[in-house]
Amino acid sequence: MTKFAALFVALLPLSVRAARPVIDISGGRVQAYPLALARPLGAQEAGVAISSVLGQDFERSGLFKLLDPASFLAPASEGLTGIDFSKWQTVGAQALVKMSCEAAGAESVTCDLRLYDVSLGQETLHGTYSAPKNSQRQIAHRFGDDVVHFFTQEPGIFQTRIAYVRESEAGKQIISADWDGFNPQALTGASINLLPAWTPDAKLIAFTSFRDGAGAHIFTVDTASRAIKPLVLMGDFATGAAYAPDGSRFLFSASVADNTDVYVSQPDGSAGKRLTDARGIDISASWSPDGKRIAFVSERAGSPQIYTMAADGTDVRRLTYQGNYNQEPAWSPKGDLIAFSGRDEHRVFDLYTVAIESGKVTSLTQNAGTNEKPTWAPNGRYLLFSSTRGGHRQLWMVQPDGSNPHQISNEKSGASDPAWGPLTPR
Amino acid sequence: MSESGHKSVLALKARTPIGLGLVLALLFHVVVLGAAFVLPQMFDKPHPLQKPIIAHMVALGKPRDQRLLPRKESPPPAAAAAAPSLAPSLAPAAPQLAKRPTLVSKPEPVAPKPLSRQQMMERALARAAGKASSEPKSRELPDPERAGSEKGSAQGTAATAEEGDEYATAVHDAILENYIVPSVISERERLYLTATVLAYIGPQGQILKHEIEKKSGNTVFDQALELAIQRTKLPPPPQAMARELRDSGIELNFKP
Repeated sequence: MTKFAALFVALLPLSVRAARPVIDISGGRVQAYPLALARPLGAQEAGVAISSVLGQDFERSGLFKLLDPASFLAPASEGLTGIDFSKWQTVGAQALVKMSCEAAGAESVTCDLRLYDVSLGQETLHGTYSAPKNSQRQIAHRFGDDVVHFFTQEPGIFQTRIAYVRESEAGKQIISADWDGFNPQALTGASINLLPAWTPDAKLIAFTSFRDGAGAHIFTVDTASRAIKPLVLMGDFATGAAYAPDGSRFLFSASVADNTDVYVSQPDGSAGKRLTDARGIDISASWSPDGKRIAFVSERAGSPQIYTMAADGTDVRRLTYQGNYNQEPAWSPKGDLIAFSGRDEHRVFDLYTVAIESGKVTSLTQNAGTNEKPTWAPNGRYLLFSSTRGGHRQLWMVQPDGSNPHQISNEKSGASDPAWGPLTPR
Repeated sequence: MSESGHKSVLALKARTPIGLGLVLALLFHVVVLGAAFVLPQMFDKPHPLQKPIIAHMVALGKPRDQRLLPRKESPPPAAAAAAPSLAPSLAPAAPQLAKRPTLVSKPEPVAPKPLSRQQMMERALARAAGKASSEPKSRELPDPERAGSEKGSAQGTAATAEEGDEYATAVHDAILENYIVPSVISERERLYLTATVLAYIGPQGQILKHEIEKKSGNTVFDQALELAIQRTKLPPPPQAMARELRDSGIELNFKP
């Protein structure tokens, strides 16, 4: 009897649980995480500069909402320990970042950077970062990536680099720069150089150039030594290199006997094999992240549209049916979307994504100049593209739903053809 | 051969005591019940690569030519997007119109007065600022034919409700108003995060105490739920439920 009583007592919580009203709640508003970036301690010149870069990284990421420093209640002298978290909670901070920098001689800077959970009142991330003074921005980028990884468990992109074309009266130059457009470095002279494409190890950038005076062909430039070598010289022209995610092959388009098709080749440019053989132009190939399929543009149905095919050229499927001029496909690193630029009924190019599974097309830009050449951030959270929305053509970034636009390049005569480089190994 | 030599191999070699049998039976039941609770939680997670299904309400407007590229999705009407506290200030226009004396003769159709440049600018500015649109309010009011309750939710589907259901709707809407999912939680993680909060509600609607009964495993998400509960002001519960909500509480199952 006592055993039955014990069983009844054990099951009693279940009966209470069943009697309690239950409400399912979902569909909360997704909002940026409120973060306070405290005034830096220690060496002010370096600290303020690094803090500014870090704040910009956080803001552009769309993940964090930076709180206004004017609202802070904690004294500027508050140290890295003994923090009065209630003062940060009062101003709405859920995360707090503090730093203290020291100039180690005239050449380098060392910073102690810390992330705190304001609700829990405890430190959650702590790192000491050093860099030469002329690249102290990298301290902010490294810590920023660590913070993004801490929260999202996904790699951050603040240490990545981008390549693009600097437009000037003298010609078009291939440039590589930090992800935020700073530290631009010219990799080529100013002949006509277009369509940069990174190798997965970021050691080379392939680009299309008229430098040999015999039409457009594909060359590579070493990002460290800036040595330029020819890669594809076949046909009347060859253009638009795209390296496979594992770097084992690359795609390009070439015009042979008045027929432009997509080809695949070894990394050294040898053993080129034609993948398409339709009437009209097949161009702008882009790999899926698993390297099994290829997106490309084809005119085979009368107007340029986005298609996909297997990596060996079989199983061709048309993906877009809306619009009469869709071009420049870029397959997302997450694999679910292809971004492209399409000409709308006002004869202006805008950015769109098409879902691979459903074929649903979504508009990302509208009524903001001409928007072209999308390229994905390697973590799939952002798109970089060229836009004339500010006057001159410059590089802009948005999130995949078209929100949170930020200008990235600030080239005097314009910038175009962006290509986002690979992730920096952690 | 002796009789004992022919004993069946299936026969028990020794008699099992009743006490041991009961203990074994009890243990068996505990294991089965435990498995019934634990196993669904282990296997009831969606596939990590499964995409969330997001439904969108179709906007009022002309159908777009299917051959054209799509336009960006326009924001919802001001009244739908505004906080409930703003709703009363927007609503009066319709009842006032309804109270006007009815015309005996059929009124002549009046052509809409063309807007002045200033009026158009004001409308554009109001729209840009996300304020109440100066468009006709009838567009933003709910369907007058729709069956429901004055205390119902915009997201509700049932036409009638018991008293308890109405209060549950009020609790749901009040919490949802303050339910913010931090964007630092990755899309992938948002697919399977779940947490359960127990909230004990006082007679005036005050949340007497709350506890996270089942944590999500993500501190940021759990903190977001804490904040949502702390910021929520609930209406007083109906008298018939007051004691139950105070003593047993209400179970809130959260998903992002």
